[in-house]
Amino acid sequence: MLSVKGLTKKYGDNAALSKVSFNLGKGEIVALLGANGCGKTTTVNSICGLIDWDDGDITIDGTSIKQSSAYKKQIGAVLGGCRNTNWRLKAKQNAEYFARLRGFKGPALKEKISSLHTALGLDEHENKEILKLSTGNKQKAALLSALSYSPDYVLLDEPTLGLDFQTVDSLKAIIEQEAKQSGQSFLVTSHDLGFIEDICERVIVLDKGNLLFEGDVTALKQKLYAYELVIEYLENRLDDYLTASLWNQRTEILHDGQRTIIKYDTPEQVTPFISTLHSHNLAIAELQVNKLSMERAYQTLINTTQEASA
Amino acid sequence: MNLVINELKLQWIEMRQYWFETITSLGFLLVMFLGVFFGIKGFVLQQGDNQTLDSLIFGFLLWTFASTAYGSITRSVIEDTQKGYIEQLFMCPKGFVGLMLSRSLADIIPSLITVTLMAYLVMFITGNWLNINFLAMYATLLLSAPSLVGFALILCGLTLVYKKIETVSAVLSLLLMGLVAIDGLPFNAFSLLPFASGATMAKNIALLNEPFIMTHLLIVSANSLVYLGFGIFIFKFFEKKAKRLNLIGQY
Repeated sequence: MLSVKGLTKKYGDNAALSKVSFNLGKGEIVALLGANGCGKTTTVNSICGLIDWDDGDITIDGTSIKQSSAYKKQIGAVLGGCRNTNWRLKAKQNAEYFARLRGFKGPALKEKISSLHTALGLDEHENKEILKLSTGNKQKAALLSALSYSPDYVLLDEPTLGLDFQTVDSLKAIIEQEAKQSGQSFLVTSHDLGFIEDICERVIVLDKGNLLFEGDVTALKQKLYAYELVIEYLENRLDDYLTASLWNQRTEILHDGQRTIIKYDTPEQVTPFISTLHSHNLAIAELQVNKLSMERAYQTLINTTQEASA
Repeated sequence: MNLVINELKLQWIEMRQYWFETITSLGFLLVMFLGVFFGIKGFVLQQGDNQTLDSLIFGFLLWTFASTAYGSITRSVIEDTQKGYIEQLFMCPKGFVGLMLSRSLADIIPSLITVTLMAYLVMFITGNWLNINFLAMYATLLLSAPSLVGFALILCGLTLVYKKIETVSAVLSLLLMGLVAIDGLPFNAFSLLPFASGATMAKNIALLNEPFIMTHLLIVSANSLVYLGFGIFIFKFFEKKAKRLNLIGQY
């Protein structure tokens, strides 16, 4: 098991990470979420041994990774988008080079590389060096290198960057299959929350270097609003106080000029509000009811936490 | 050994895939030398000093070797960062320094082959046939190469933290010409410079067929060990600093 324990990293007075702790168990697929600059990449780079942290520790099966660099044999990583391959080599050559760098070689490795190469849709670009590939295919080549030697822990920083829907689906299938069959563990950072929602059992949310939430996707969703009503008035708008009084249970109401945005949990909550709009005969330019995506919902988690701390 | 083979394979792939670049860089080296050689040939022959011409050819071969040994590591840190995969190299379980030492060994072996081929080509073109004891030359160069590797590691450490040091690197590459030209033996102030004593020993034994002197061997070995050890120490210092400031891979 990979354990991050009270990880703290500061640059001057700014804390990039503040006592962040979580575990990554065998065969688990865990998402690391947060806005830009929240500490996701610092966490991943720390696990890769590319950053020296100030306090806390990272252990694998109870042994600190600071004790020996041998643990890196068990780590595969796609870091910072496409920046992980030697662009003078072809995808398979890259995968073989980086696998041998970690001591893996032989026919089994070549077979694995070939099957992943096909699964990622790279076969038609077999004879092209990385520099001749599109951004999406460069990303696939980086994924091929990270997965080729079946490392115990795979760290994927924005793995879907530049990938088409078909490849994202292939990637999901590969990750789920590797996790299930080989017991590989995945830590995935992504802004593609649809991707995260589909494959991750557990979610870790960071905000400004602090651990905001850790739990399964369902628990996260329960903490978040499910719907959003957006209304744009033509002239007069419903009194703010009255608007607030019409929503029983948990809601978040934002006013922005002629627009009012209301986040809520259940469909029936909306009925008194709509009824009051009708009885007051208010002219409406636009009214939308949206089911919140995880990304939008997750923003509300950050807002809620910020309000609570204020 | 696995790392050395991996680096040799990488070199072979790059040389084969970019064959035009391989041929032009060897051609450039040859043309550059011929320009220098024929430029000073007339002047030297007027003075009837054939020994200087022989030394010039041998010095060129040494410089070619020294540039490879020194450049293998400095190129890694600068170019691999620009190519965008230096982070992956830092994730080598044997450590980045271990990888770099393997890489320089993998660069030095083909370099010795290149130097031999270049030697015969240069001797053929110039008509100056030298009696070089290649075995003695290889042994001496392999013994003295770690000093250059250590020197290169110092520069790499600086590169990790200060990034843009291509100018310093270029100046130091030119200084290598001086290192292979000066007399580092018997022991004098120049013996303290990296590789100078090794280059002199190689010239004495392989070209001038002078007898092997144990004290010289000790001086060359000590020079190699001290520079390699110091290089590793300095590199580790800057590597730690780069990791503390999150500078690995930032270029």
